Amino acid sequence: MTRTITLAIESRAECIELLSGALCGLCQLLALPTAPIEIALVEAVNNVVEHAYHGEPGHPVWVEFEWAPDCLNLRVRDCGQPMAPGRLEAMAPLADPDPDDLATLSLRSRGLSLIKSCMDKVEYEARDGVNTLSMSRALVVSESV
Amino acid sequence: MILTHRNIEGIDIVSLAGRLVMADVPEVRQKLLVTVEQGSGKLILDLAEVGFMDSSGLSVLVSVFKAARAKSGDVALLHLSPTVRSLIELTRLQQVFPIFDDEAAALARLR
Repeated sequence: MTRTITLAIESRAECIELLSGALCGLCQLLALPTAPIEIALVEAVNNVVEHAYHGEPGHPVWVEFEWAPDCLNLRVRDCGQPMAPGRLEAMAPLADPDPDDLATLSLRSRGLSLIKSCMDKVEYEARDGVNTLSMSRALVVSESV
Repeated sequence: MILTHRNIEGIDIVSLAGRLVMADVPEVRQKLLVTVEQGSGKLILDLAEVGFMDSSGLSVLVSVFKAARAKSGDVALLHLSPTVRSLIELTRLQQVFPIFDDEAAALARLR
């Protein structure tokens, strides 16, 4: 059986913890590990607030959680500026930082790399004015619902 | 986010409590950079009460580390929660920050 819940927040950084709280409750209810899913969710919504809406409040962000028997699907939707084509695919894995070479400690672009590290499948689509970041994580037997 | 500051033998210890996320980053970054600027550059961040951190929170740690290194200091992380530890390890920042579960050991490292 697949179960779905959709939440909406305003594009303000202060509202993102509401999604985190809801996710934690759902993970507890369904006995799922919270940490990697929360990291992916928060990074995805951070990107929407910061980049799609350029930090401007008052815009909608929708998050759909879908629990299938073998996987968890998250879809984050917005109506802001789409991500540049190919950016997600081009995002390299996180490089090893060198404490003695401060130039390797990049402050930027960790969000997408973290999402790709936490989820098994990540796709992005911009169509008809709506941008959708779809993330999927397989559930091991003990996690499945 | 609540920050509590103390100083032991010239080493600043700042305890953070709450979620270190995008909404809190400007204020926390500014306060920690002031601590480094006004202190010795040796800083322990006690994250026992930080239940969650995102990449913008990580950027605060990196900013503070760079400021400390500019003063020939260092930053150690203390009491990581499992979620924060997993984020640090995902980004391999354990290669940058010494991590401790014991304050005395962290102080010994920075002396």
